[in-house]
Amino acid sequence: MPGESTSHVAGSPRRLAAILAADISGYSRLMGADEEGTLARLKRHRRELIEPTIQEHYGRLVKTTGDGFLAMFDSPLEAVRCAIVIQQSMAARNMSLPPEQWIRYRIGVNLGDVIVDPDDIYGEGVNIAARLENLADPGGVLISGGVYEQIKNKLVCGYQSLGDEKLKNITDPVRIYRVLPDPASVARATRQHWVWLSSGAAALLILGAVGWSIMKPETSEGGRRSASLEQSADKTSASGLLQAESSSSEPQSTSASSAAGAPSGMPPAPAAPSSNLPIPITPISPSPGAATKTAPSTVAAIPSPSRPTDTGSGSSIRDCQGCPELVRVPGGSFRMGSDEDSSEKPIRLVQVSAFAIGRYPITVAEWKQCVAAKACPDVVRGEDIDPARNLSWLDAQQYVDWLAQSTGLAYRLPSEAEWEYAARAGSTGRYWWGERMAPRMANCKGCGDPYDAHQPLKVGSLVSNPFGLSDVNGGVAQWVADCWHPNYQGAPADGAAWTEPGCREHVLRGGSWRNDASYARSASRMYYDTGVRYPAHGLRVARSL
Amino acid sequence: MPAVLRGRLAAIAVLAGFFVPGAGTSLHAQTAAPSDAVVYIIYPHDGQRIRGAFPVRFGLRNMGVTHAGDTTPNMGHHHLLVDVQEDIDPNEPLPTDKQHIHFGAGQTETRLDLPPGRHTLQLVLGDAEHRPFKPMLISKKVTITVLPPRGRRAPQTSRAER
Repeated sequence: MPGESTSHVAGSPRRLAAILAADISGYSRLMGADEEGTLARLKRHRRELIEPTIQEHYGRLVKTTGDGFLAMFDSPLEAVRCAIVIQQSMAARNMSLPPEQWIRYRIGVNLGDVIVDPDDIYGEGVNIAARLENLADPGGVLISGGVYEQIKNKLVCGYQSLGDEKLKNITDPVRIYRVLPDPASVARATRQHWVWLSSGAAALLILGAVGWSIMKPETSEGGRRSASLEQSADKTSASGLLQAESSSSEPQSTSASSAAGAPSGMPPAPAAPSSNLPIPITPISPSPGAATKTAPSTVAAIPSPSRPTDTGSGSSIRDCQGCPELVRVPGGSFRMGSDEDSSEKPIRLVQVSAFAIGRYPITVAEWKQCVAAKACPDVVRGEDIDPARNLSWLDAQQYVDWLAQSTGLAYRLPSEAEWEYAARAGSTGRYWWGERMAPRMANCKGCGDPYDAHQPLKVGSLVSNPFGLSDVNGGVAQWVADCWHPNYQGAPADGAAWTEPGCREHVLRGGSWRNDASYARSASRMYYDTGVRYPAHGLRVARSL
Repeated sequence: MPAVLRGRLAAIAVLAGFFVPGAGTSLHAQTAAPSDAVVYIIYPHDGQRIRGAFPVRFGLRNMGVTHAGDTTPNMGHHHLLVDVQEDIDPNEPLPTDKQHIHFGAGQTETRLDLPPGRHTLQLVLGDAEHRPFKPMLISKKVTITVLPPRGRRAPQTSRAER
């Protein structure tokens, strides 16, 4: 690759680095429309998202400019992951805003030789990154060939070659790749370079597949698939590959239709994809063959040895051995509820602070630790990675109390608002992937395979949402902290649990495998007697950050 | 009342007491009920026309009401089926959803607010694990008509609002 990894001049302050350049598309327009508001949001997401994300990926924020920033990383893989997480999270944040207020970054990543000053970096490597950024679509990421060579086998994503480009003021042409948010854009792309690595090693995937899809919270599936790969794969290793394909191919049709017209890498208008899908996802289970037909070479499913931290948008937290795995959920606001049932009205805007929530429902193995500590009743049966069930709200509360006490951390049940916010992951429709039920997405009655009428699937068997949560649609219904109220009249808007002492019934979210698809909707609510166990009821923990 | 009441598998009832509640599969033996037990809806009456929200009162003869999870013989708890057409699976815990309302705390009445129109109500007694007894203790199905509120917009549908 031209423009990279060449210089080794001893003694000079030079080094090889992955450079990430980003700027906001339409910055002047945004500032023109609402200067103070834009600036406030810009500062906020810089503080809450950009800086922490760069840090999490072992990068350094070199400098910020009016409408962008420059960061450097030791690892090109981390740089691209960081770029993807930023794009995903920004898209999720944009979901709650009208399109004219969206802040969208264009990002370029290059691997090259740079001269490092304490507060800036220079050199062709930086210039190329900046040029790539310029060429990127809003919400998109372009990488140079040098970066591509480093990450192609490690990062589960699609890469579309844009060929060699002669960049302004750069001597040699640079090969450019677009990091593809979802397979749908691949289908549309004319020239594709698909790396199609089999997931033979799928069984051990705990890989961080970056859920790029958040880029398109409503429609894109790339990230979900990739995020799900690790999970679906290790559950049924024999057919791991097929699963990966089928899970990707289903949603793909949605994104293909809904995202049509949108440049790849660009979040579509939030409202559109959910409501007018010309090609709905059919609830018919695809045969592996069909799946392969629709998604033949579109997926670069690459087993990666990466840490779970890299999965989805939220990074993972595990506070102790045996503690449930958590994902970090960024703060934001969302429209809670729906018009489908009186209990879900009125729809209202709810602000949620950043928090962590269980990636999966609490498992049998996790519950048993609490039993062993004599802090929880021994009422749960099943295999280790089955979701723990047959729990009352009081049982669930006992578990989180024990976890909080034994770790010294603020474990608790999620509030109902937090649960829905995390389950939606930026989406506004019935399900996080769109309006229609689809196979491999939910564990409910009549929702397609896999399904067992007698018990829920093991945790993580299905595609996880853009925040990295698995099993938010069906499986075990999950207790939240809130008392039952028949509707949202008078509900808090700050994401807190709505409780009063001694309430007889508490809220359950997500529906169970015994309920039909309507109960698996993001907004669906159920309740049950606080002190009564039922075999389809479990829990998911939350923790304040 | 078509309460089919036979079977006296007392031994099984005793055995069931040792089962850990829930989390089981359908292989569990059903809990036996006394042959003369009867579950019925005290109110509303079959064919009744009602305006607005109304109470539903549960009746049970020759058995006791307890909370779910209690395996004491000859005791159970109520489940109210609203507009349920499907047959009950005798081997599975009764479903819980907007049409299958559980009273696992041992409640003996509730309040419903149904949209105008014809509705059916039926009670099923469940054992400690929310499974129907053997023989199944199920009430006669009561059909009622909810009238639209006077001069007002129809109430929203929710059995949840009790």
